[in-house]
Parts: sequence; C-alpha cells; structure tokens
Amino acid sequence: MRAPLLDVSDLHVWFDLGGRGEVHAVRGIDFSVDEGERFGLVGESGCGKTTAILALMGLLPPNASVAGQVLLAGENVLARGEDSAAPHRWSEIAMVFQGAMNAFNPVRTIGEQIVEPMELHDVAEGRVAVLRARELLEVVGIPADRAARYPHEFSGGMRQRAAIAMALACNPKILLADEPTTALDVMVQAQILELLTALANDFGLALVLVTHDLPVVAQVCERAAVMYAGVIAELGPVDELYHDPRHPYTRLLFAATPDLYGDDEVVSIPGAPPRLDREPIGCPFAPRCDRAFAPCPTVTPRMLEVGTHHLAACHLNERVVEAVS
Amino acid sequence: MTIVEAASAPEAPASVRAGVFRHVLGQPQAIVGLAVVSVFALVALLEPVLISGDPKEKVAAVFQAPSSAHLLGTDGGGADMLKLLAAGAQISLLVGFAAAVVSALIGGSFGLLAGFFGGKTDIVLMRITDYVLVIPDVPLMVVAAALFGRSITNIILIIGIIYWTTTARLIRAQVKSVRERVYVRRARALGAGNWRLIGKHVLPQVAPLLIANTVLLVAYAIFAEMFITFLGLGDPSLISWGRLIENAFTDDAVLNNAWWAIVPPGVCVMLVVLGSTLLGQAMEDTLNPRLRVGHLSVRRFRIRPVPRTEP
Amino acid sequence: MRGIDFVVKRVLFAIATVFVAITLNFVLFRAIPGDAIQALRCQHCTVQFKNALRKELGLDKSKWTQYRLYVQGLAHGDMGKSLRSQNPVTHELWPAIKNTIPMVALGYVFSIILGTITGVIAAWRRGTIVDRGSVGTALAFYSMPPQWLGLMIVLFLASAVGLPTSGIKDPSLGILGEPSLWTVVIDRLRHMVLPSLSIGLVLYGEYTLVVRSAMLETLGEDYVLTARAKGLSSWATVWKHAFRNALLPIVTLVAISLGFIIGGFITIEYVFSYPGIGLAIVEAIDQRDYPILQGAFLLLALAVIFFNLVADLLYFKLDPRVTT
Repeated sequence: MRAPLLDVSDLHVWFDLGGRGEVHAVRGIDFSVDEGERFGLVGESGCGKTTAILALMGLLPPNASVAGQVLLAGENVLARGEDSAAPHRWSEIAMVFQGAMNAFNPVRTIGEQIVEPMELHDVAEGRVAVLRARELLEVVGIPADRAARYPHEFSGGMRQRAAIAMALACNPKILLADEPTTALDVMVQAQILELLTALANDFGLALVLVTHDLPVVAQVCERAAVMYAGVIAELGPVDELYHDPRHPYTRLLFAATPDLYGDDEVVSIPGAPPRLDREPIGCPFAPRCDRAFAPCPTVTPRMLEVGTHHLAACHLNERVVEAVS
Repeated sequence: MTIVEAASAPEAPASVRAGVFRHVLGQPQAIVGLAVVSVFALVALLEPVLISGDPKEKVAAVFQAPSSAHLLGTDGGGADMLKLLAAGAQISLLVGFAAAVVSALIGGSFGLLAGFFGGKTDIVLMRITDYVLVIPDVPLMVVAAALFGRSITNIILIIGIIYWTTTARLIRAQVKSVRERVYVRRARALGAGNWRLIGKHVLPQVAPLLIANTVLLVAYAIFAEMFITFLGLGDPSLISWGRLIENAFTDDAVLNNAWWAIVPPGVCVMLVVLGSTLLGQAMEDTLNPRLRVGHLSVRRFRIRPVPRTEP
Repeated sequence: MRGIDFVVKRVLFAIATVFVAITLNFVLFRAIPGDAIQALRCQHCTVQFKNALRKELGLDKSKWTQYRLYVQGLAHGDMGKSLRSQNPVTHELWPAIKNTIPMVALGYVFSIILGTITGVIAAWRRGTIVDRGSVGTALAFYSMPPQWLGLMIVLFLASAVGLPTSGIKDPSLGILGEPSLWTVVIDRLRHMVLPSLSIGLVLYGEYTLVVRSAMLETLGEDYVLTARAKGLSSWATVWKHAFRNALLPIVTLVAISLGFIIGGFITIEYVFSYPGIGLAIVEAIDQRDYPILQGAFLLLALAVIFFNLVADLLYFKLDPRVTT
C-alpha cells in the first residue's frame, strides 16, 4: 500500500497569550490524506480546524508553538519550524484561505499575483508565466482577459475562483481549502464545490476541505474528520459518518443541519464548547452530550477503530468493542 | 474570526469604562505618561506653596552657572531658573489643558452633530471642517494673536479654535458607528427623542475617545503656545516655558554659553508633550483597538516536544 | 479616462479653498481693532504720512470696495505694498521665497527618507529592541519644540562641525573680488545645512510613527499571509506587498505635514536668522507690517492647498480602488 501523501501524527498547537497563559488550540490530532483523495475537516467555529491546516504549511504566528509530525511526501514539514516548512509552500502544498476576497493585494492585478509564485518557484517566467496564468483562470471559469484587472473589480465568487487558480499556479500535490464557500451565495457555492471536485479529479489533486458546513463535506469529500475542542472526535468515510455515526457529536452535528425536504425538527446542540486555555478532564464533549455516562466526565476517551478506516473517540464504543471481543 | 486572531486578541471589556481603565493602565507607556504629566501638574498646582516671592526677581548675577544656591543657575535677568521653571509650568500647562479642552468641545460638538444627524447637517459641518483643515494653522494663529491682543484668554481661545478639526472627524466616525448599534436603534424604536439618545447612549460611548483625543491635543496646544510666545506675541506679564526660551534667545544666552537657561525649559516641554502623547496614544489604542495579528515577523513559531498523556 | 470627474472635483475644491483663504486673509487683516496704519511703527511715520498712506492704500473706502480691489490686485499679482519700506510685497517676499524653498525642501526630504526607513524597519522588527529604540527616538524628537531643537543644535553642534549658524551669506564673501558661482553655491549650502537639519529632525519623528503604523496595518492583512504562504521571503513581502499599500497613508501624510512644518520653519529661520519667509514674517509681526503678513500668509495657504491637491491626486493614482 502506498504511503499517504500527507500524514499528520499527534499534532499540537499552542498560542501564548502573554500574561494570560496559553491556549491549547490543537490537541494531538492524527489523520492522513492519500494522493488524489478528497478529505474533509469539519467542526464548529473555534474547534481548531483552521489552526490545524495553517500548521500544515507552517503559517503560524510568532506566539504559536507546535509539536508533532507532519509528513508531506515523507518529509517532516515541522522538523525545524519555518525553515523546514517554507520550501514546500505552494510548490507542493497550497491553500485557499477563508475569505479569499481579501487574499489579494488590492493594488496589484490578479494576473500579476498569479504569476508571482510561478516565477518565485521557477515554474515559469515572463510571457510563459502570463499565458499559464490566463489558462488557469480559464480552468476555474474566469475569462482570461480579466487577468489584467484589479481584485476589487471581481465579484466575491470570482475572487474565490481566482484564489483557487492562484493556488494551482505551481502544480501543488495537495490543496487546502479553508471555508471556501462561506460568505458566498448558494448558487455560487455549488459552482465552487463542483469546481474543486473537478480539479481534484482532473489534476489528481488531493484536497483537504475545512468547513463547518456539513452539506459541503457530503457533496465533495470521500473521507472526513470531525473536530471538537481541538481533538478529532470521529474520522471515517463520509457515508458512514452520516449513516452510522459513532460519536454523539457527529450524530448531533448531522442532525442539527436543517433538512429542506424533510419534516424533521431542527435539533440544536445546547451549551458551548469548552475553553481552550485549560486542559480538560475527561471527554471534552461530555457536558453537552446526550449520551454521557459514568466514565465520560473523568476519563479521556481514546481513538478506537469502529469499522474499516473508521475511528471514533467515545466511551460508548468501548462497550461495543468489549462486547464484541 | 479565525482562531489565530481570537487567540491573539485582547479580551473585549465588559463595560467600556472599567475595561478601558484596566487595559490602559496595563500598558507601561501609559503609566509613564501619566506619571510624568502628573508630576508637572503637581508642581504647577503647588507652585505658590513651593516657591516664595516673585520668580522674576533678580537674585544673582546674570547668567550665572548652576550652583548650590541656584540649582539651575540664573537667566538673562538674573532670576533663579528653577523658580522660573516652576512658575512656567503653571502657565504652560494651563494653556495646554485649557486650549485642548476648548478644541475638544468644538470638535466634539461638530463631530457629534454631524455624525448623529447625518444628511444636510453632516455635509455642511464637514464642508466647514474641510475648509478650516486646509488653512495652515500657524500663520492663522500668528495673525489672530497679533490682531486680537495678547491676553492669555485670547491665546487659549485661538489655539482651541484652530485645532478642533481632527477631533471632529474622529468623533463623527465614532458617533456614526455607535448610532447603528442595536441598543441605540432599540431605544429609538421605543420612542426616545434625539437628545435623550445622544445624552444617554451616544455620549457615554464616545466620551472615552474624546478624552483620549483631548490628552493628545494637549501636546499640540503646548507647542502652539510656545510658538506664539516665541514670536513675542504672548502675554507679556506671564511666565511660560515658551517665554523662558524666548528670553534666552533674545538675551543671547547662546553667546554667553548659558546652556542652563536654554536646556531645562525645553526638556520640561519635551517631557510633558511626550507624557501626554504616550498616555493619549495608549488610550486611543485601547478604544480603537487594532486586533491585528502581524503575518510577518522576525520571530517565528516554536517547536515543542509532544506532551505526554496518561495511558 | 478613469476618474476624470474625481480630478475635476478635487481641483474645483482646491480653487474654492483658495478663495476662502483669500477672503479669510482679507477679513482678518481688516478686523484689526483700530487701524493698521495707526499701529505702524517706523521712523518717518508722521501723522500726515500716515493719512496719505491711508488714502493711497484705499483704507478710507468701504470694506466691500477694498475687498474688490484686493481681489483684483491679486489677479494681477499685486499684493500691495509693504507699509514699512513702500516696496511691493512681491518684491520683498520673492528673495525670501527663494531662500526658504531649498532649505525646507532639503529638510523635508531628509525627514521623509529617515522617517520611512526607521518606520519600515521598526514595523518589520516589531517588538524587538530595534523597534522600541526607533519609536522611542522618534517620539523624543517629535516632542521637542522646534525652536529649542534649533537652539540646541546651535549650542552644541554648530561649532563642533564648523557650520555657520546665521544668515545665508558669509559676509566676507566678495571682499576680494567677484566670487565664483561654485563658491556662492557652497556658501549657500553651508548656511542651509543646520536649519535644514533642524527641520528634518523636527519632522521625521511623525513619519516614523505613521510609517510604522501603516506598515503594521498592512502587515496584518490577509494578502500578506497569502504572500508568505506562496513562499515569498520576508523582505520581498514587505517591499512588494506591504509597503506598496502602506504608501497610501504615507503619501497623505507627506502632503498634510507641510501644514505642520510651517510653525517649525518660521521659528527655525528666526533662530538661525535665515532670511526666508519665516524671518520675514517674524520681522513683519514686529513692525506691524500687515501687507507683508497678508502676502506671506496667502502664499503659505496656497502652498498647503496645492500640496494637499497633489496628495489627493497621487493617492488616486496609487490606489485603484478610488473612484470618487
């Protein structure tokens, strides 16, 4: 079996708050992504998913510290911090940021900004680079002559596409997309998602899609991880997460999504996520869980295999596993 | 807000006043600024107690170097420099604060009315501001001082009338944003009249920023007073730090190498201006915070060992 | 052409402001309690002389007429006559302008360059001792009264570097025959150095602070993170992305600070006895020579208005988002 393209083990990220202690934003997560695979990272705001993918590229601020291993095509990206992360940027791993509307420098043209990484990483230069940039714009559905325009002349959806084009500039192997459809209207959302899926297929691109929006994951991703309070609650094929969730949070999350065609009541999850500046005791979801029982408040659940390539961190599965074994 | 921003941002204060105090005083430069200004203010207030007699009185030879009798030497008229400095503190600080307050009142009113009522009022008031803003302040001051007389009240008023424009803009922007806040709209929907809205809702939100701006204006006002005095347009009967420097210049202190007549008044001004600038900026930063994470820094994120978890 | 209506609007505004300045000028000087002529102090100013002068200057006519005459005169480049010397104001001020402009320009350029460099470095090295040092020094100079700074330079620096501290001409020049152009230029420059330095130091502090602040603002923008993500080096990011955007508020400051410097250069010219507009103003104040003051004030107002206009247009050119 081929080694995965991206292999994350025991990733931790802390933020130093100056006089006020430390936030432990990502608390030891493990996941892997194969070449050409479409992987989703789901969770509420503040669960640490954005921080996690920023860490994959080493794009953390100076008050951050990191632990664990991120293997990209075999190399540990975090071995020496910025120095080991920087060489892989854009040429192997690229990102489309949340709010890509602002990812562009307002005083330079879109075309210039797509050409920039090409010349930087010696992928192409001069006329060739410009032509390639125009091609990329066409691929994402933007007329090539728009390359000479400024960001403010594009609509939100088009800027999002342009950001995707820019991310593809150096033929990366894996594309990270952070909330690519938030702040776009529904029609445009669907188009962007189709685009991402098509790109992954056509270019053999691996995709890590970060979102709080479950239908997005359901539409685009093959496998997904559900994050809560800095840890992964459950990880597995999207189908199984939807039809056979093994963590109460996953179940409630899917149930909380309003079903346009069904008569189901909208279920919301009462309560709020725990503070990340303290180390939790027991399962972080216990206070809000509808199935919490004896061990939950005091014993931290481990990640257990509950199916093929399907893992969940919940004490409920231990009984099943015990019963089975 | 991404977690990166959230993790790096200061906590939003529960109540504006309490939170502001705590946060401002938490910054070292604010404390330094406040301390410096307080010291001088104290000296100014206690001057009649500390210093006996008329500071301008000749007590020794002209331009005498510092000695144990006269810690800062004497000026071109033979008067004790230290006494003169203390007396000067009174006037300089008085003019500084008073003029700043006048500016703040005018600018604040303009900004408040323009921001709250919007529409025609806004356009008219802002046009006026635009025109006043472009006229260079100093020649206007000089001319006005030359024409309208040299009393201290006039000077305070003149300075105040020149410097209100930036305050007006600042307050206007703030008022506009406050006006759109939910609780204001709610109060309006409940039928509260305009003045009640301004008084109870808008003003308390805007006041801290206005105060911060006033503190910053003190620096400008002191400079302006110095300038007017230096050109011989100040109140001739009063001593201010500006006057001391002017005297030093006209008495040829340089030729006499009498640095003690020149350096101290300037240092005093510098300290007060520095202090109020630090304090004012700290206050403004708190109230108009920039919750920005810099994406570029010389320092980098750190690597740590993986924490051990219990089995 | 993009935004021609913007350009037109700004130019019209500038012209309108010029009229406001002219009117303000007129009103201020006619609002003198008593009579300008009354207050005139000079040797040959007898009562008859003053009355004759009054008639000649049209001060016995109505205010409206005076205003009309004044504006008409301005249109012909006539700013009236100096009360003291009876020469046309333009005659008196022109050499002063020629002296002031290079001196101030030199100081201005110095402060912009120094301020920008220190500001950029401080922002780039945010939080380090370099940052704190730059900001601290900038604040210190920013807090110094210009006349005091000038005096300090005269007191402590001048003799050390052997530069003259007053006037613009070495009086000994030309005694031994017609000096060469080169000697004259050098002489002028030598006299300019200290006053320019004073102006530069007075101004640079604010530039440092504004540039630093503008840079920090842009460094927090998403496109800077994107640049870092694309693999750009720190330096390239600062120069190609952050600075270009930070330039916008800096340009505004360059124009606006001309207004601030006016107080500075007037006192500095006074301290250094440098025969420019500043010194002319000071002398005119002393002698109550109002036409000179009026003329000088108008010129300064025009300069500020012009600079603001240039800044507006520059900003418009630099920022493609500005359309109105």
